[in-house]
Amino acid sequence: MPVTAMIIEEGDNVATCLEKVAKGGSVRLMLNGKMGKTLKANQAIPYIHKICIKPLKKGEHCMKYGLSIGVASKDIKVGDYIHVHNIESARGRGDLE
Amino acid sequence: MARRNGRGASSSKRLRKTWWGYPRENGDVGARNYLLVLSGTLYANPTCERVARTLRHSVALTHPLGRCQIGPDIQRTFETLVGHGQNANAGAVIVIDHHREEGCTADEIAHEIAKTGKRVEAINIREDGGAIDATAKATRIGMEMLRELTNERRQEVSVSKLLLGLNCGTSDTTSGLSHNKATGWVTDQVVKQGGRALLAETTEMMGGEGVLADKCVRPALGKRIWRMVEEMEERILACGVDLRGSQPTGDNMEGGLTTIEEKSLGAIQKAGSAPIVDVIPWAKRANRRSGLHVMDTPGHGGESITGIAAGGSQVLIFSTGGGHTINHPLMSTIRITGNPLSARLQADTTDVDVTDIFEGAPIEVAGRRVYDEVLEVASGKMTKAEILHEDNAFAINRNGPSV
Repeated sequence: MPVTAMIIEEGDNVATCLEKVAKGGSVRLMLNGKMGKTLKANQAIPYIHKICIKPLKKGEHCMKYGLSIGVASKDIKVGDYIHVHNIESARGRGDLE
Repeated sequence: MARRNGRGASSSKRLRKTWWGYPRENGDVGARNYLLVLSGTLYANPTCERVARTLRHSVALTHPLGRCQIGPDIQRTFETLVGHGQNANAGAVIVIDHHREEGCTADEIAHEIAKTGKRVEAINIREDGGAIDATAKATRIGMEMLRELTNERRQEVSVSKLLLGLNCGTSDTTSGLSHNKATGWVTDQVVKQGGRALLAETTEMMGGEGVLADKCVRPALGKRIWRMVEEMEERILACGVDLRGSQPTGDNMEGGLTTIEEKSLGAIQKAGSAPIVDVIPWAKRANRRSGLHVMDTPGHGGESITGIAAGGSQVLIFSTGGGHTINHPLMSTIRITGNPLSARLQADTTDVDVTDIFEGAPIEVAGRRVYDEVLEVASGKMTKAEILHEDNAFAINRNGPSV
């Protein structure tokens, strides 16, 4: 049984997995209540965390809600687990001043 | 079991247009009719607590401030205390101070509260004979106030009399998908009927400023939103560290939120599609214009909802991913969640469960349940945290040092 992952806006890089996903587990994308294609998770993804659905090059903005939620700190492939290990915030970065 | 916490209470009836409250002389309407025992300074806190413990239907507000603060900082404390005294949920107020706190005396606080027309008395511990005699005097005055307050009756009033507070906390990735969206639906219904809602949490506008600015009825208001977020970010940058860890917090990140931008874009869903009609500083009283008002507050939940209560909100929706115990002692605080795990783990303080959104329920179905709860609570139904005395969220924001 694939885990459902919700996409908020078409064009977003990420979807939110509604259950935890095992490495290699399948994830079925949903947008506006309609089910779409199924992906394979490249790593385990914790409960309600995000999966990459559109690849990102290092330095590119990661889109959710149709807006930037930060910048990729490394290249990210479709099916990768997305969180603090590969996305940096672009705001409130006193450490970079 | 999954159907507890008010789920299943949906109906096909028309949207309620009224609620039952306590009309005040100045046109405000209270959702509660408490006697407020308000501390002017930390050294009056135990006296306030003794009085409130003795008197049924009274609420004490205590804090560590009111003294050795300078300029704008003491003014901020003063305005917060006045705002709570003026909040329509307080039917009458006793303000207690200790000796003399320049710029924040019980007399000065009481003077401002009296402008609403409600009964207010000031007690000074030193002048009134010390801790025991001051307690006795305040208790006796409070008892007579409560005889009058409890003889008042609720009256049916329009939703336009509501100033609905909006706040989120312990957010996670379910926040922007479920409970914040349901809250936004409620915001829209309240505003459509001539009511007001009050959005806060400036830190959680970072990354979503443009979305909010576009909702403003005048470009100047949008500029104020951009400016207040910029000032918040400047204060953060001055600390020389990465905001991440403080915002998003540890529990936000555990809940899957990666950056402050992501948290913000979820948080501002609470605004719905209502027009922003005013942008106000911390703890300032909101004007009477129907629409969404925005207050400049930190993301700290206790401080944020204290600002909102001082702004005049009678009822607040606290929408939470992780579940929460947060509760303002004076402003009824309704906790809602769409996270199925949190709805189970924090059921003791979850008033409305909107997890059915993840089972395919439309936002308006969940939103309708929250809307009904808002009007029921405004009309006297107690929240779980009110019943449990979970009075943990009166926290005055500071902008200066102790001196």
